[in-house]
Amino acid sequence: MIFSELYSVYYHTVARVLETAFDSPASEKELQNCIEREAFSESTLTILPALKSGKWPLLNPDLSPVLRHRPTMPLTLLEKQWLKAIADDPHVKLFGVEIPELDDVEPLFTRDDYRIYDQYADGDPFEDASYIQHFQLLLSAMKSGRPVQITMVNRHGKRVSTRLFPKSFEYSSKDDKIRVIVDGCRLRCFNLGRVEHCEYYDAEALWHETPREEHRKSLTLWIVDERNTPERAMLHFAHFKRRAERTEDGKYILSLEYDESDEAELVIRVLSFGPYVKVLEPQSFVNLIRAKLLAQKSCELR
Amino acid sequence: MAYKELIKDFNRIRSYMREFYVYGLKSREEYTEKSARSYDDERRRMESWLGDYMRFEQNAGRKTAALSVDSRVTRRNPLYKAWKTKSFTDGDITLHFAIFDVLCTPEIKKTLAELVQEIDILLVSRMTFDESTLRKKLKEYAGEGIIRMEKDGRRTLYRRSPDVEIAPLADAIDFFSEVALCGVIGSFLQDREPPHENLFSFKHHYITQAMDSDVMATLFTAIRGHRYITIENLGKYFDTVQIIQLVPLRIYISTQNGRQNLLAFHEKANRLNSYRLDYISSVRIEDEICGKFESLRKVLDRAESHMWGVNSGWNVKHTEHVEFEIRIQKEESFIVRRLEREKRCGHVEKLDDSHYRYTADVFDTREMVPWIRTFICRLTRLNFSNRTVENELKADIQEMYRMYGIDGGDGHDFQ
Repeated sequence: MIFSELYSVYYHTVARVLETAFDSPASEKELQNCIEREAFSESTLTILPALKSGKWPLLNPDLSPVLRHRPTMPLTLLEKQWLKAIADDPHVKLFGVEIPELDDVEPLFTRDDYRIYDQYADGDPFEDASYIQHFQLLLSAMKSGRPVQITMVNRHGKRVSTRLFPKSFEYSSKDDKIRVIVDGCRLRCFNLGRVEHCEYYDAEALWHETPREEHRKSLTLWIVDERNTPERAMLHFAHFKRRAERTEDGKYILSLEYDESDEAELVIRVLSFGPYVKVLEPQSFVNLIRAKLLAQKSCELR
Repeated sequence: MAYKELIKDFNRIRSYMREFYVYGLKSREEYTEKSARSYDDERRRMESWLGDYMRFEQNAGRKTAALSVDSRVTRRNPLYKAWKTKSFTDGDITLHFAIFDVLCTPEIKKTLAELVQEIDILLVSRMTFDESTLRKKLKEYAGEGIIRMEKDGRRTLYRRSPDVEIAPLADAIDFFSEVALCGVIGSFLQDREPPHENLFSFKHHYITQAMDSDVMATLFTAIRGHRYITIENLGKYFDTVQIIQLVPLRIYISTQNGRQNLLAFHEKANRLNSYRLDYISSVRIEDEICGKFESLRKVLDRAESHMWGVNSGWNVKHTEHVEFEIRIQKEESFIVRRLEREKRCGHVEKLDDSHYRYTADVFDTREMVPWIRTFICRLTRLNFSNRTVENELKADIQEMYRMYGIDGGDGHDFQ
């Protein structure tokens, strides 16, 4: 249903090559560059020879297009069904767009056809008017490179104001929250949901402040080959930059990199595997786990 | 057969990509399911499609290949590329561009004979197509929704479907291509857009779901139509593929472990079962419609208030009672907020200023254990009706004391 040549890199690349050929008398080098940019590393070995030889008779010998019009293709039913499905998603309100001309299309899925069952319950208010307004202003500022001034409540409950350059958004499905990645202030990022007020900042002069550097740390775990733990753990930690190895005596070792600010979360994620995942290094992380266990021991669990 | 960059069958590459991405541990010799030649071809394809993400290493004296993606940095799921590799014939690609050149606006309507003639003129007879080939292709495209067929008396007229303006949706499509289900379809739309800066990155982002997109889209089609399905499933308890007929009811997505499950009614066993999408190798939608789909959905709706994960049951009386208590310090009210936001069912009650109790009745206590372990350092009491699981959890904690050198263990005597 999804695996179709209509969506293939080759069809897409040939369309781009033909567009290039429409723009001006294109050289072979230009067409080759286009293929290298759009397709896979070995695709030039196939696409250009096929077009030049007439195997795909879409270019004339002088590399001008055989077609009379720039290549286009209407949206497929599947693409329309997917658009119809996301039109019903509460997050779509952020973008202030109407999905057009799909009245006769059934959505690929509705909200009742799936559940995200372990998403945290205190996600951002994606349908709240001021939240949407802040998002749209920041999005616009990112595109234009303009600075903004924001007032927000920080994690300690204090109201703070700062000026900054918003750079991008980071969304977490688990938290159902958006963070704004910024430059031009001490903060590196903040939760969009904490913003109370946001407006463009008319800077008279540029200022020089940079975000605190995020320290990257590494962690090495030993995964016990019981209860399908290697599969569960490898998948669980799959979104980190990581490296897995199996030692000669068959033990699974997983090394991953993380941001220091995520350490507390990572500690409890490791704990969630109980005795089936053990921290090997660094010792500082081992100590964090040991501290949790010592505290647990003092609870005298019944 | 000579190596080709494109492929005909997605399932072959699906299992290799998953293995390379999730594990990245196996050497060439260990890929025993297919021949060594097949392994070489699949690895070469992945290098061609995803060269920047491929990594080769020596692992216990063997050379292994892995896909390494930091999904927090990568703004477009690279695994989507695999869905853009379907092979085709010389005729397919030529005809594709020729059809939409002749039918360049939705207002143009042509008969089959007219189309054959105009395509022949366009291609200066360098490649010719007969009516039968063209009719077949137009019928296929009508099924894809990109060509419309209209009757004009006894004649059939063909026209292109109206275009939909997607340029204003660029930011939304960038976001939903990664966040929404079947996001690879959004990635197809991204390919149609002019270059622009993508302003979204993603945390806790499991990109392996991409490989199961077709299974998921087919399941949704069956669910929307209340149809029976037949799946080929390789469950974790079976070495061989099981063929199972089901009524698909709903798909359950985890944001915390990267798994996707189908909850379905197994009519023969009279059970609500869950099936991992990555274990399903094929889905066939049957013609038969399930008349009791709505009532089955209602059963599932009622069951959800007792589901922690994906294990369910008919009768909410057949649940297990789970209670645990935690101790918090004065400045640790965030722990209570954690309980409230992370619980999926059940309730939290305050016992005194420093103790809170969580209570729930669930179908499967074992599914809750990883979450309960995250409260290690403050657990004061467990009370599970499933004593086996309660005792296992207590034993796990004892084992952890031993592993980390608390309680007299040396901290290295693992296993």
